[in-house]
Amino acid sequence: MTLLGIAQIAIFFVLVVAITKPAGVFMYRVFEGERTFLHPVFRPLERLIYWLGGVREEEEQSWVRYSASMISLSIFSFIFVYLLQRLQGHLPLNPMHFSTPQAPSNATAMTPDLAFNTAVSFTTNTNWQSYSPDTTMSYLTQMAALAVQNFVSAAVGIAVAVALIRGFARHTAKTIGNFWVDVTRCTLYVLLPICILATLFFVAQGSIQNFKGPATVTTLEGASQVIEQGPLASQLAIKMLGTNGGGYFNANSAHPYENPTPLANLLQMLLIFVLGAGLTYMFGKMVRDTRQGWAIFAAMSLMFLAGAFICYWAEQRGNPMLTNMGLEHVYTAGQPGGNMEGKEVRFGNPMTALFATVTTDASCGAVIGMHDSFTPIGGLVPLFNIQTDEVIFGGVGAGLYSMLIYAVVAVFIGGLMVGRTPEYVGKKIEQKEVKMAIIAILATSVVILGFTAISSVAPFAKGGYWNSPGPAAANTNNGAAHGFSEMLYAYSSGAGNNGSAFAGINANTPWYNLTIGLDMLVGRFLFIIPALAIAGSLASKKLVPVTSGTLPTNGSLFVVLLIGTVIIVGALTYFPALSLGPIVEHFQMLNGKLF
Amino acid sequence: MGPGRIKEQDMLKELGPGFRLTLIFTVLTGLLYPAVMTGVSELVFPKQANGSLVTVGGKVVGSSLIGQPFAKAEYFHPRPSAAGSGYDATASSGSNLGPTSAKLLHGTTKMDDKNNEIVDFDGIGLRIVHYCIDNDIPYQSSIPIDQFKDSHGDLDEVKLIKAFNDDKSPLAFTPKTPIPQDAVTASASGLDPHISPTNADLQAGRVAKARGISADQVKQLIPQFTDRADLGFLGEPRVNVLMLNVALDQHFPASK
Repeated sequence: MTLLGIAQIAIFFVLVVAITKPAGVFMYRVFEGERTFLHPVFRPLERLIYWLGGVREEEEQSWVRYSASMISLSIFSFIFVYLLQRLQGHLPLNPMHFSTPQAPSNATAMTPDLAFNTAVSFTTNTNWQSYSPDTTMSYLTQMAALAVQNFVSAAVGIAVAVALIRGFARHTAKTIGNFWVDVTRCTLYVLLPICILATLFFVAQGSIQNFKGPATVTTLEGASQVIEQGPLASQLAIKMLGTNGGGYFNANSAHPYENPTPLANLLQMLLIFVLGAGLTYMFGKMVRDTRQGWAIFAAMSLMFLAGAFICYWAEQRGNPMLTNMGLEHVYTAGQPGGNMEGKEVRFGNPMTALFATVTTDASCGAVIGMHDSFTPIGGLVPLFNIQTDEVIFGGVGAGLYSMLIYAVVAVFIGGLMVGRTPEYVGKKIEQKEVKMAIIAILATSVVILGFTAISSVAPFAKGGYWNSPGPAAANTNNGAAHGFSEMLYAYSSGAGNNGSAFAGINANTPWYNLTIGLDMLVGRFLFIIPALAIAGSLASKKLVPVTSGTLPTNGSLFVVLLIGTVIIVGALTYFPALSLGPIVEHFQMLNGKLF
Repeated sequence: MGPGRIKEQDMLKELGPGFRLTLIFTVLTGLLYPAVMTGVSELVFPKQANGSLVTVGGKVVGSSLIGQPFAKAEYFHPRPSAAGSGYDATASSGSNLGPTSAKLLHGTTKMDDKNNEIVDFDGIGLRIVHYCIDNDIPYQSSIPIDQFKDSHGDLDEVKLIKAFNDDKSPLAFTPKTPIPQDAVTASASGLDPHISPTNADLQAGRVAKARGISADQVKQLIPQFTDRADLGFLGEPRVNVLMLNVALDQHFPASK
């Protein structure tokens, strides 16, 4: 590791600390319905949306109504995305003629199972892509189906987090807010304005934003090169801010148009974290004790820094087998060293490792380097981040509500240790809350481990519909432990609603499209609905006064307890699977074993 | 309120706003937002918004952000690419091969239609051989490299790949001083427009020779197309291959 590499991680972290409070204060004002400096512009539009949508702004909802609204929006979103994909061959803005008889020879067919998987993927904020966008999606599908869900699914995540916070903040209340109002305000005052500025910055740095067809050029050596174009920057901004992560291009943010410079990359990483970090401050402010928010922030930060440095260390150390073949693994002023397979020269090892950590701490899933080509320990960090439910700043909203669910478990364990009824921010944590928290945590691990196990052994017959013949494990690009990691990563990424991949897996088969689709649905809704149930239950409770017997949840003791809970739950659940994947591969690599 | 069960009338009441808001957000964030952003970008940053295309003598020769293939000795060579058959800007991709992949390190061969054995995937070992020989970098080899040359003096790549993959006594071919990783590894996008400055320096001699000029003349040109870390600390130093090659053609046209 070099001083410059460490500085990149440290300075990025300082910037995150600096934006947390302003972002939190602003979101607090938006969700409390206070006037902001954006109101003169967006307030009339907000009213118009309520009028057109048939939404009564002042109406409050119970947690059941709130859940019903959330499901309603998700269902229609799913239908829209599904139909737009299936019909794209008949719709405008399709200059590459995808899904038509004139499609290029390398184009991917828009099958029902692919459209299903993608529609689930984008409505659940996952952005898992079993297709390659370069060869599959028209401009219209990208903009009006996929990018719209990048806004909507992000707004839904934040709305759920806000509702859960209201559960803690309110007492003896029957309602937790209005879903439609929360989603609309989030989109108008938080997501859109930041995206507009970020889009312009990305274009200034070199990202494309046009409706032209592909540019065909003659290279210096006289060959023909077709360079795809399109409305990229506007989608890029919300892909990062909404922690969606679905690339406009197959190479995602590694593509030079999708991430032209290291400076653009810095903004991309900040966009991933800004709302997740800001929500921790908003949480503290809404429960009237900002130290509660900073305690959550501290737990997240410590885990973030640990992950970033472990990943950077592993990637800069590189692959000893390549060193033996005569490649430079030490960083020098003129070349990056480390492990450069699947990395871009402009980003090098420290920045790629940092981005991989950030994108999986949050449920973003964009990549600037191919995680599949990371060293085993470098790849273990993103995998473990996803498996522990992405609680480190997290997906917008999802990170905070997941972390609060872990906080419920942590105070429960703490309560068991000292023999008192657990409390968190003035609310008694009882049987119902703990049950709901455990349902949320268990549901994701059941689908991740269950589907990985089935795919590892399931045989498929010759000529069948679901998959090419043989085991589903044969769809992986790599053998042995690494191939297992590719499957484990795929299902973790789906259930974690992350969307990044050990991309060497051919997941565009009906089997994977269906199972990963189910995996994403469980990971999203069996997490959100228990979270809203907790919100409803907490809101109806009385505030209990702080006594000398209360475990303080705004200090370092709680931070340690919370981190311990996340790591222990994650380790107990996933250690056996991780041992078969990246951990065994690490020792194979050190011993020079190839597969 | 008990946990779980959602009442039917609640659910149905929420269907209306669900449908309408999906439509409204589609128009607002899916059509208006990208359209307005495109309009503003065209006005303020037209060059970038349209792909940073590079024009030489009135002809578009590429984009300064998108790598393109170069194989001739008189040009600087980019990194290996896993995008399509190499630098295919309609199929961006990395290799997605992991650190214990025999294919990545040693390459693979396959049979073509006429049942001749051909290279399927070159692998890092073969790339190192080419890089050392092309750029006159001293190396040591467990088997003399002349044994892998055919009657024309060209390298037999299939034979080399098989030698790397030999279980009993695999070919060990190493440069005497380590070479930069980026010269022989594929990028994440397959379209990386850059190489490292060290990689460029090592290629300068070959380029100079092919153009009949001195290596110093070429080396003087490299810094003009080298970007340092952004703001002094972000990212890595890098050389833009296309822009450097365009400048070479302008300053030192290759003799035909």
